[in-house]
Amino acid sequence: MAENETYKLTDNETYREVAPEEFRQECARLFDNGRGRLRMMFAVDSRETGEGFNIYAVFSHPGKDLFEIVVLKDLEEKEGGITFPSITPKIPAAHWYERQIADMFGLLPEGHPDPAPLVLHGLYPPGVYPLRRDISHDQIRGLLDEDKEDLSSFMKVKGEGIYEIPVGPVHAGIIEPGHFRFSAVGETVYYLDARLFFTHKGVEKLFERMGFDEGVKLAERLSGVSSFAHSAAYCHAVERMAGVALPIRARAIRTFLLELERLYNHIGDIGNMCAGTGFAIGYAKGALLKERLMGLNERLTGSRYLRGVNAPGGVLADVLENPAETLRTIEGITGQYKSFIEFLTGATSHMERLDNAGLLSREIAMALGATGVAARASGLDDDIRTAHPHLYYGQLVFESHTRMKGDVFSRMMLRADEAACSLAILKSILHKAKGKRLEGDIALPAVEVPALGRALGYVEGPRGSIFYYVSSGRDGRPFRVKPRAASFCNWPLMPFAVHGNIVPDFPLINKSFNLSYSGSDA
Amino acid sequence: MLNLQVLIIVIFSPLLQGVIKKLKALAQGRVGARVLQPYWDLLRLFKKEMVVPESASWVFRAAPFIVFASALAAGMMLPVLSAGDPVKSFRMGDIIALLYTLALGRFFLTLAGLDAGTAFGGEGSSREATVAILVEPTMALAIFTAAIAAGSTSIAAISRSTDILQSPAHVLAFAAFFVALIAETGRIPVDNPDTHLELTMIHEGMVLEYSGGYLALLELAHFMKQMLLFTLAIDLFFPYGISQGGATPYAPALAVAYYALKLLVLAAAMAFTESSRAKMRFFQLPSLLGGAFVLALLSIITFVMLGR
Repeated sequence: MAENETYKLTDNETYREVAPEEFRQECARLFDNGRGRLRMMFAVDSRETGEGFNIYAVFSHPGKDLFEIVVLKDLEEKEGGITFPSITPKIPAAHWYERQIADMFGLLPEGHPDPAPLVLHGLYPPGVYPLRRDISHDQIRGLLDEDKEDLSSFMKVKGEGIYEIPVGPVHAGIIEPGHFRFSAVGETVYYLDARLFFTHKGVEKLFERMGFDEGVKLAERLSGVSSFAHSAAYCHAVERMAGVALPIRARAIRTFLLELERLYNHIGDIGNMCAGTGFAIGYAKGALLKERLMGLNERLTGSRYLRGVNAPGGVLADVLENPAETLRTIEGITGQYKSFIEFLTGATSHMERLDNAGLLSREIAMALGATGVAARASGLDDDIRTAHPHLYYGQLVFESHTRMKGDVFSRMMLRADEAACSLAILKSILHKAKGKRLEGDIALPAVEVPALGRALGYVEGPRGSIFYYVSSGRDGRPFRVKPRAASFCNWPLMPFAVHGNIVPDFPLINKSFNLSYSGSDA
Repeated sequence: MLNLQVLIIVIFSPLLQGVIKKLKALAQGRVGARVLQPYWDLLRLFKKEMVVPESASWVFRAAPFIVFASALAAGMMLPVLSAGDPVKSFRMGDIIALLYTLALGRFFLTLAGLDAGTAFGGEGSSREATVAILVEPTMALAIFTAAIAAGSTSIAAISRSTDILQSPAHVLAFAAFFVALIAETGRIPVDNPDTHLELTMIHEGMVLEYSGGYLALLELAHFMKQMLLFTLAIDLFFPYGISQGGATPYAPALAVAYYALKLLVLAAAMAFTESSRAKMRFFQLPSLLGGAFVLALLSIITFVMLGR
């Protein structure tokens, strides 16, 4: 393919290949001073096909159902390694992606303001880059040296009366591991430095060892409560690569389960915020309601976490078989949900804790590429369901919600709005199924993956947008699979939201974002 | 003779804790653990290995004993079932001694939190000291109202002189005392005894580095302090039914029944308060505890003005 050629693979993806000197300029053009959004950024080791290392940056524009992908080719080998021009100075949202690329591929972002290691914590000898294709999964495991774990580099805040509070990675409760270093003045947090990636599992490498069908199992285990969203995004990518369209019933079922997953997450999160304020009755009520939904999940699919349902080409369980019965359950839950929210909003002692806590400004959310609840509660209208209609969303009437203030209260109320919206979508799909308007197969007989194909898949998960990039090799097997969990975009927001709050409010602010460690750490 | 009624507090304070926990669970729609669970927890802790931080000094090791001893000593100053005859039978203490004995325990617990050398211990100690500064004057003032009304600082004398909230001043003093009680026992909205969130802890933060027998001792002391403060509330504001010593033969049985009933009511009030609201933002605590102080002050003024 000639240089600078723009080509399309699916109807809303364009790829444009550029040389290193044009990369910054092209990315800046698409970023459009913050009007464009960086969706994800990753590297591919294509040396075996003679194309060297490539870097992909995926952009989209609000109001336009199009993903514009810049592909950086011909990376230069300089003394000290292979480098590429960093876009972080222009596009702050790229900062983690570039550090991740440096860790996993040994491609160094030139001009990155903070190029410290991100993922690997110094566990491998220098010069070992796990995602390069000339080193196997087993070889990497053999090189792992857990005694070398290096967590020493933290942002130091100096001054009179400033002290550091280290928290984690082992916590008192049953939560995922993450290390937080607070620099506090009295009870007020001046700066928070978070060290994550303790649950890095080498998922991207593992995908390359599996077939495309098997990969679903891995995708749905990446992040527990986003199991269905991850597997749906993964299948979406594989299906788009294969160029197949799903039967209407399969699309409706996937949409139904995506909304069911959002619903149980949002309700669970609202309840969990009560644990952050020590409001025991609210927490108990939220847990009870969430449990009812998990029970419904199990009845419908056999899995409380909606696992084992998705497969490339459709779904494996006909969830819409008894629409009338499911509808009754959903109607019942709607009533309980309404009284739950009324109860919480009437609980002054709880609500006053949420007000003004953990403020995240629209500017910061925009610059750092926030997604999902975190973005929409800070006034950024970013919802993949309406921005890039897919599955059955194009046929549904609903709107995406935003709140302007960006505090914990906004994030709670946004979840409440969205949960109500999800309930409406669930009912609408069930009514259509009852009226026999969603008849058809639940899956395609088989999905043929082409050789040397590639495509993006995406959904709006409970925590925000989830993207998968998949590509196949000459043999039609997975060549590169890159998941981008919502939390990967949102973790860097945390220091900004926490600044100026008091230390005992951190758990509450943290719960209002409810980010996943496992999904982000991959 | 020594006031052996303290044994009632030592033996039954874990039960009171179990009852409060059970009531809280019921209020939240949960089944909850058995009311005897705190005994098993203490037993389990006593059997467990102790881990002491390398950086800890003698303070860390001495604190559990001092805290326990202070709770025990404070317990000896209280009439529990019988206010007795002060000269002939039990020797009891006065309220000022009681307050300062408890303060001694708190002082060493705060030191121990700092001594472990971890951030959470330090945070817990600093917050505990902040809360203590706000609570102690309130508690003292509320008690003084009862003392002035009785014309004595002896707790036994106060409990013999009054009945149930006998004057408006007593009502105000009890309201202030109840808020102080919440803060002293580390309950919502001041502290959250059930949290696993290290960053929000006060009492739990201070004892975070303790394990095994030391922790069991500190927990038991905490239970005892809770029960003896409940008992103090009963002695000062609701002593009706307490045995005066040498009365009719069935008086002790009646005293036990009254005492248990009053504890249960206080426990239920505590469980309800704790379940029905969220913890306050830390820096808003002064407004709650300051409000309680004003109530206590008003109670004294009311007493002076009304003369009863």
